Amino acid sequence: MDTLASLLHTSPALAWMVVKIVIVFSAVMLLASVWTWVERRGSAMIQDRIGPNRAALFGRIRIIGLAQLLADGIKFFFKEDLEPTDVNRGLFWLAPFLAFVPAMLGFAVIPFGRDFVSGGTIYHLSVLDPGNGMGMLYPMAIGGLAVYGVLVAAWSSNNKWSILGGMRASAAMVSYEIGMSLAVVSIFMTTGGYDPAEIISAQGSLPWHWNVVPQFLGFIVFFTCMFAETNRLPFDFAEGESEIVAGFNTEYGSMKFSLLALAEYAHLMTASALVVTLFFGGWQVPFVAHPSVGLSILSFVVKLLFFAWVFVWIRWTLPRFRYDQMMRLGWKAMLPMSMVNLVVHAWLMSHGR
Amino acid sequence: MFLAFALITLLGALGMLLQKNIIVAGLCMVASFFGVAGLFVLLANPVAAALQIIVYTGAILVLVLFVIMMLNSHEEEPAETSRPIQRWVSVILSLALAVGAVKLVLASKGLQQLAEKGAAVPPAVTLQGVGAVLFADHLLGFEVAGLMLLAAMVGAVALTKRNL
Repeated sequence: MDTLASLLHTSPALAWMVVKIVIVFSAVMLLASVWTWVERRGSAMIQDRIGPNRAALFGRIRIIGLAQLLADGIKFFFKEDLEPTDVNRGLFWLAPFLAFVPAMLGFAVIPFGRDFVSGGTIYHLSVLDPGNGMGMLYPMAIGGLAVYGVLVAAWSSNNKWSILGGMRASAAMVSYEIGMSLAVVSIFMTTGGYDPAEIISAQGSLPWHWNVVPQFLGFIVFFTCMFAETNRLPFDFAEGESEIVAGFNTEYGSMKFSLLALAEYAHLMTASALVVTLFFGGWQVPFVAHPSVGLSILSFVVKLLFFAWVFVWIRWTLPRFRYDQMMRLGWKAMLPMSMVNLVVHAWLMSHGR
Repeated sequence: MFLAFALITLLGALGMLLQKNIIVAGLCMVASFFGVAGLFVLLANPVAAALQIIVYTGAILVLVLFVIMMLNSHEEEPAETSRPIQRWVSVILSLALAVGAVKLVLASKGLQQLAEKGAAVPPAVTLQGVGAVLFADHLLGFEVAGLMLLAAMVGAVALTKRNL
């Protein structure tokens, strides 16, 4: 790192920062785009079909249909960039970015491996170093912004289906945020800190000490709320193809639609990273007290991909909720459950000492 | 950095005032809130910045925009007949507020300390610190605010859902 920095005439800290940003964001982008393909293959597997397996590089190299990603990307780029006449132009163009940027930004505080020492300095494997004072408040703040993408896309399209989808999605996101926050607060409480690095190191390497075991109720609430936050299928009220055409992205086409779709998958990656960090020990390797850096990264990625797969799995297993059912679940089941979780843990803590 | 965030805040606020389209005005307000959050970070108070974004941008403004979108159509509303007295009263009120704010800042302890000791980076505020202050020094205010909000919520439900 030092030689690289001196070659580029910058300080090692700055060079490390740039390297981290490039690695994290390109990895999340890549995973998000691969997951569009995983979703299609996964749905095919669950529904006893084959799924996209035809696209091939140079007409020959098939690699189980992975070239579909490239084909989709190229197709989206060369499609005509339609813009309906009655849209609000500025906001119509802004909305895909408003959806995509927060979905990527949320990943910045997540530590994706243990920190290591090289040349006397400690290098942390997360874009924002621990001790930045924001901690887990940051992904929650950024997650709250994801509503704007959907809301602005819906409103600027000037289409009744769009606005219906946007309204439903934003109402759902705002109502599930409370239950989610309370579930996270009880983790802050038992950990005694709100920095993701602290939360991970407090969980240790034994799987039954990870937060998911003592706070199973909190995990259920948080995971359910993540489905509502990412607009994934049991709660995908933003799109709801069978009810409101395609919801907030009805009027979108070409690369703008692709950005909106990718935002959903980037959001999914961030959501599963949050679940892993809060409840499954982050980069901790089961039964290995001091893992090497590579092993810790591998462990994090395996957990991340597992939860990302669970998102796909549930999407193709459960039917969509009705709107009032989802609201009832959010306010009358999830919120009381996370409150019970909070109070029980507060009581246990006050009696444990 | 300070200039950038200050510019974002001011331009956002200005955009909010001058925009005729009410949704665009709301989004300008979001930009302005972001500028304020950035200023909080520069003041070594990342907790306030995060809470600013969570509470104002993530919750309050979303609800405001939600209501606006549910009620209105896309037309920009024509201005009503202007009443000069409103304009003058508002100018006087905002001037009074500005003078009061400047006076408060100039008389604050922090500024005196800055003049005596010079600028030193204060330790960053943590969530633990905020919690301790809320529940130790300002417990009464905190509880009263909580009770008020609960009463407001119950009142709103009672008013809208008469036949529950």
